Amino acid sequence: MDNPKVLLVDDEDRFRQTLKKRVSSREYNVFDASNGIQALEMIREEPMDVVILDVRMPGLSGLETLTEIKKISPETEVILLTGHASIDPAIEGMRLGAFDYLMKPCELEELMVKIDNAFEVKRKKSE
Amino acid sequence: MGMHMKRKERAASVYSIRLRWHIIISYCLAAVISLALIAGIIYFEYRSSVNERATARLVSVVMEHKGTIENFLFELANTMRMVTLLEDFDNLRQQDVLEQVYAVLEKEYDFAFEDLGVLDLDGNHLAYVGPYDLMDRNYIQAEWFQDVLEKEMVISNVFLGFRQAPHFIIAVKQTNGQDTWILRATVNAVKFASLVEYVRFGRTGFAYIVSHDGYYQTRSRDGYRVMDHVAPDHLDLEFFEGVNFWELKQDQRNFFRAKTWIKDNDWLLVVEQDVDDIYGELYLLRQNALIFFALGGILLLVLTLMTMKLLLRKVKLIDAEKELLDEQLIQSHKLASIGQLSAGIAHEINNPLAIIGEESGWMQDILKRENMQGIPEHDELTDSLREINQQAGRCRKITHKLLSFSRKMDATIREVDMNQLMDEVAALREREAGLSSIKFIRDYDQDLPMIHTDSSQVRQVLFNLINNAMDAINKNGEISLSTKKNKDKSITVTISDTGMGIPQENLTRIFDPFFTTKEPGKGTGLGLSICHGIIEKLGGTIFVASKVGEGTTFTIRLPLEPSVTVADD
Repeated sequence: MDNPKVLLVDDEDRFRQTLKKRVSSREYNVFDASNGIQALEMIREEPMDVVILDVRMPGLSGLETLTEIKKISPETEVILLTGHASIDPAIEGMRLGAFDYLMKPCELEELMVKIDNAFEVKRKKSE
Repeated sequence: MGMHMKRKERAASVYSIRLRWHIIISYCLAAVISLALIAGIIYFEYRSSVNERATARLVSVVMEHKGTIENFLFELANTMRMVTLLEDFDNLRQQDVLEQVYAVLEKEYDFAFEDLGVLDLDGNHLAYVGPYDLMDRNYIQAEWFQDVLEKEMVISNVFLGFRQAPHFIIAVKQTNGQDTWILRATVNAVKFASLVEYVRFGRTGFAYIVSHDGYYQTRSRDGYRVMDHVAPDHLDLEFFEGVNFWELKQDQRNFFRAKTWIKDNDWLLVVEQDVDDIYGELYLLRQNALIFFALGGILLLVLTLMTMKLLLRKVKLIDAEKELLDEQLIQSHKLASIGQLSAGIAHEINNPLAIIGEESGWMQDILKRENMQGIPEHDELTDSLREINQQAGRCRKITHKLLSFSRKMDATIREVDMNQLMDEVAALREREAGLSSIKFIRDYDQDLPMIHTDSSQVRQVLFNLINNAMDAINKNGEISLSTKKNKDKSITVTISDTGMGIPQENLTRIFDPFFTTKEPGKGTGLGLSICHGIIEKLGGTIFVASKVGEGTTFTIRLPLEPSVTVADD
């Protein structure tokens, strides 16, 4: 199975599902979770290549989830989706080990480029 | 609300009519009181010194007079004693000898002696020289004759006598062998009085003599003649030692009086001078001083009023500034709440917007599939979806602008390490830059001081400038990041790229709002105009230098401490 495994984590169901359909149609193996806890459970069961993580979520926040992901699976690359115009959460996320970040709402093409980059980096690290 | 705020500002105003008068009155009072105090002290000091001088002069006049008068009287008396010693009684009782003696005396003493007579112990004339026919006069009953029998020598008080002209007698008793006799001379009282009266000083200085029983021996100042009795309560005839002096008021006349007893406590020598005379000089001085101080007072008043005017103008200015600041404060509060509101709205709208974007994107994805190519109105659907996408993108840009606007409103100033801040921001893009072969070159001042500023907003600006630099390079290039401490309590941050550069005609408009050279929909960062606004608000400056084909350099200067600047926007 060469297709990258991508996990979408967002509390907005419709957004997550549609995005999943769109990314899936581009030859990625896409999983989804509606909150941080669920995402962590899934990563424990099956390590992901790239996680797309919404920063603003009820319950476990995006940055908290990121910290936990890095503990469970340090090689997994995380791309943050922020709703803020400010780059402060992005900087915080980068410090916690995120690969990159995107401002929400974003262009799918932009996201795809970043997913590819993240996968590339991850693959190189694994070799 | 606006009206309410306005009224509150008025009430809090520093300047007011009451304050104006309060300041003017207290300044003027202070000036006038201090001036009056100085004037008063000088006046009274001077007055007391004049007073002292005047009384000292009166005392010396009295003493001098006393000496002159007593000398005169005793010289006359002694001369007569000498006559009695030098000439025999038998010689002297001869009319022609007495006439010779009288002639000598008259010449020597400038007609002070009116007549001269030799008397026996019964008071009868043995010889007489003089203008009156007094040979047959008997003096046994005269007071002075009684006195001379006892005292050997007598100087009488002034009296009118037989001749009805003021005069006094000097009599000397002498004994030659068996004979005891008396030499008597009359002294012209007017002549004597001139001794006293001619001695004048000042304008009103005057001397006179009163006998111990209260008769004027010389003319008084207020019109009493010789032999008149002193008016009751005008003069105290109690005996005392030395000189007495004091200031007193009689018959509406203020004067200084000094007195002393002369002629064996028989006569009282009185010297008087008007206060006005003594203080004449002082009054002139007082007048001059009054003019001087009045002019000084006016000058002070004018100066005070001028100063006040300046001061009040300043107060008014400060007041106006304060009002402006208040207004700006209200304005910035308003903007802050608008910012919060718009941030909330933007966040809420972002999620549905994301869904709209994804849904239309998904539909576009489906329409691109091969089995969908043949369906009717395929192009219309594609066109419509593209439009939906484009409009969603437009909304996204609006919400992002709203969010950055709201962030700009609430500045939180704290200590910031600019080097670290640069690294943080650079880290966001460095990996991506590496993929495009863009190298970050750091040239940090290791001794850079901490600055107080809003880290979040400065990050935003740096992020934007780095993004611009990367866009300008596109692929293969360098971005130099440097920090430097300035001499004037500020630091300089520069971000240079080796990109395509900015044409001269765009360089001046680069910080203008809404100016862009990018395609619509590109660039999610802040506009350079907002960057410019942020830096200005934090008390700094931002410059751009560029050359087409070589690159662009942005230079930011930030103060160590943010200056208090008026809220912009």
